[in-house]
Amino acid sequence: MSILKSLLKMRKKEYPVQPQEAANTDPDLKSMSLEQLKNRINAEFGSTVDLSMDELKTEGKDALLIYLTTMIDTKLLKETILQSLSGKEDGIELTTEDDLKSLCKEKFGGAGYQLVESFDNIITALLYGNIIIFFKDMEKALSLSMASGEDRSVTEPSTQTVIRGPKDGFVESISTNVRLLRRRIKNRNLRFEKFIIGSETNTSVYIGYMEGISNEKIVQEVRKRLSQIKVNAIFESGNIEELIADKSATPFPLALNTERPDAVASNLLEGKIAILVDGTPFVLVVPAVLVDFFSIAEDYYQNFMMGSFLRMIRYLSFMIALITPSLYVGILTFHHELLPTPLLLGIIAQREGVPFPAVIEVLLMEVTFEILREAGVRMPRAVGQTVSIVGALVIGQAAAEAGIISNIMVIIVAITAIANFVSPTYSFAAAARLLRFLLIIVSAFLGLYGVLIVLVFIVAHLSSLRSFGVPYLSPVAPFIIEQQKDVFFRFPVWSMRKRPAYLKSQNPEKFPKTGSPSPPPMEGEQSN
Amino acid sequence: MRKYGVMFAVILTAILLSGCWDQRELSEITVVTGMAVDKGEDDKYILTVEGINATELNNRTASGNAPSIVYSAEGNTLAELTYRVNEGISRHLIYSHMRTLVIGEELAKEGIIDFIDFLERNREIRDDFNILIARGGKGSDVLKVTYQFQKSTSLKLHTQLDTMMKDWGGDPGVRMNDVITAWTAPGRQPVMAAVRIKGDPEAGASAENMMKVTPDALVVLDSLAIFKGDKLEGFLTLEDSRNYLWIQNKINKTSITVKCSESEYMGLRVYDTRTKIKGKLENGKAKINVKIRAEAYIDGTHCNNQLDKAKTYKESGEAAQKQINEMVTKTIEKVQQEYGTDIFGFGEDVLRQDYQNFKEVQKNWDEKFADADINVDTTLIIRRTGIRTKSFLKEVK
Repeated sequence: MSILKSLLKMRKKEYPVQPQEAANTDPDLKSMSLEQLKNRINAEFGSTVDLSMDELKTEGKDALLIYLTTMIDTKLLKETILQSLSGKEDGIELTTEDDLKSLCKEKFGGAGYQLVESFDNIITALLYGNIIIFFKDMEKALSLSMASGEDRSVTEPSTQTVIRGPKDGFVESISTNVRLLRRRIKNRNLRFEKFIIGSETNTSVYIGYMEGISNEKIVQEVRKRLSQIKVNAIFESGNIEELIADKSATPFPLALNTERPDAVASNLLEGKIAILVDGTPFVLVVPAVLVDFFSIAEDYYQNFMMGSFLRMIRYLSFMIALITPSLYVGILTFHHELLPTPLLLGIIAQREGVPFPAVIEVLLMEVTFEILREAGVRMPRAVGQTVSIVGALVIGQAAAEAGIISNIMVIIVAITAIANFVSPTYSFAAAARLLRFLLIIVSAFLGLYGVLIVLVFIVAHLSSLRSFGVPYLSPVAPFIIEQQKDVFFRFPVWSMRKRPAYLKSQNPEKFPKTGSPSPPPMEGEQSN
Repeated sequence: MRKYGVMFAVILTAILLSGCWDQRELSEITVVTGMAVDKGEDDKYILTVEGINATELNNRTASGNAPSIVYSAEGNTLAELTYRVNEGISRHLIYSHMRTLVIGEELAKEGIIDFIDFLERNREIRDDFNILIARGGKGSDVLKVTYQFQKSTSLKLHTQLDTMMKDWGGDPGVRMNDVITAWTAPGRQPVMAAVRIKGDPEAGASAENMMKVTPDALVVLDSLAIFKGDKLEGFLTLEDSRNYLWIQNKINKTSITVKCSESEYMGLRVYDTRTKIKGKLENGKAKINVKIRAEAYIDGTHCNNQLDKAKTYKESGEAAQKQINEMVTKTIEKVQQEYGTDIFGFGEDVLRQDYQNFKEVQKNWDEKFADADINVDTTLIIRRTGIRTKSFLKEVK
């Protein structure tokens, strides 16, 4: 890890980041003629084809209507604005700022207008899909949001599906995403704050949190880290995740990402903070601890016993995905005595004629599987079937029949792969995928002893991790007994009254003590 | 950067140089499941190992060839011989799956303690394999006999002895660590199960033997070998072997036949037995009280009993008690009179319950055992009669 860190440092030295150029001096709007403004904006946008500037005369004044045709809803523009701004004189004389204000109140009251004064703000407003109406000789221009509503409609999330639970998922539009959250938490304490990140993309990034529940210190830390980001482009929440993580030299994700609004909503109510990025359906939730990656919203929608069982299956699957191939290598090359005699003899009989040592056999198959998996994700839909058929044949039958690998190897690869898919968060499953190869190689040299050493290192590494200052292994280490109700097991909802203690929430209790529900007393029976 | 490079190199060197020393690929090894030690002709021992041909033991890959290779080498220490056998076997032998050790009768009579040290010391060999005596023959011949199901005799014996002990109790259930405990503990002498070859050993040593409905040769459990120190003293019967287990409180289940009149018998399936031993020394004479408690169900009867009457159960139970008492007492008396060696470990019980007196006689406990007063007291309760109460025998016209 430390080697990686030093490599990263070296890169930084070779390619120093250029400091930002100072903003141009802001010209005075009032002194500009319409022609001058037009030229100026044209110069700024370099006469891009979707820039539209129409001169119009309204309220007895010359005005300029500016917008980017591709960013706005032209139908809406025609219907509302052009009808409101008729050429007729209504007797209002536009000379002062107050006149402009009263005009806006009269014509666009309730439509969310803004008065912008600086030239830079005009440019920004245009880029976000606003229209600008500039009246000659006025200090301020009128800005109205007309952003086009054409977005992907809300559909079922493709990565985190559930059997029982809401089927809606986040989309690329940040306002839709905020709406999905607002619809779930109808509470005045749900706050969103806006950040513009990316010096060239100017991407909107919102943080969402519950005032009075989330820890103000953590919220402040999130604000600080977001405002410190100095990159030029943000396209996905993954970009943000890497830039605000407490440590980047780790295979484990330090922020939870999800496509599910119900998952984000329940995390907000625990006192966590959501980071929404415009243009991606993946929302980040921080601080994230290890156990968050094993629990999903569906655990709480079904019977608590089933929920607990499935959760333990997930922990088990993670261990299977992580260590099965290395156990195979370790036991077959060093610890023959660990297997029952019939099993050992069975494996020897199967491996008779396999020309490779166990470690080569495992690496061969695991790499083949990773190739197939990557191909399966990237390939065009139309050839999907071909790859899966060829893949099944290659790692299944053909390789075993050709005597290159043993049959038991196919089982190992299959169970490892299946167990890896159990993980509810893709980014967390990736950690097991990577560490698996390290374990295989170490176990080829040192056997189970080596596997144990690496596992100890992994645990040590996990306990060194922090997510926004919260220890990554909490509430297991440091151990918080109250929180154990929601770690390996999922206790009944009425018994989980406390918010996670490691978040130090301002309001640690979720609801008053109610006890378990019970049937009403029978007739004649004393109720107590 | 240089610092990290050096660190990386050190770690890599440590792993590459220290690892792998005991690495054995599966294609380089042969699993040894059985071992036999016999008296050597020139040197002290002949070691015979049975290396398994795994392909033949797998149903999908078997082609009907010999299931194992048995090879012998002669020398003075087993430690050397376990590697010397590679003069005839191509692959590295691993001993961690050894199931059975067969000792030739001739060697057992001369003493076996010397080579057991190697078996206990070696890091690969387990300490819980079955240790057997080849009665009236050589251990190597026992290993060579093939068998239908497990194919290799060492694997067959391992399973067979376990089954026998669980269902009836003919095998004393002695593993190597039991033998060592018996040698080191005061007041106990070791026993071992004894096997012999039924049939022609020559004909048994081939794959054809496995193909016959009645094999030419079969290794059968024969009797109980009893020791004085590390020397074989003699053999008891299988029945004695069961009674030995009874005294040891190691019986899981067994069946006994109780006589109810001339040529009429009743079969009892005995389960849930507990044995408690009380021992002390009185005026220099050992007094041992063996208390057996057991439950049983009637598993078949020739007797014309009224099985719906409580009295019948009581009477049958008492008859069985009497018979068990006689059986067990007979076994103990036989050992006392003929061999005078305390295989039952009564000395251990006296040591625990009457330590002060035992200390004085510890050196010659076996003599004290030989003329000890041993009383066996059995309580047997018949609980059930299978799935039938009255027998149809009563209604036969």
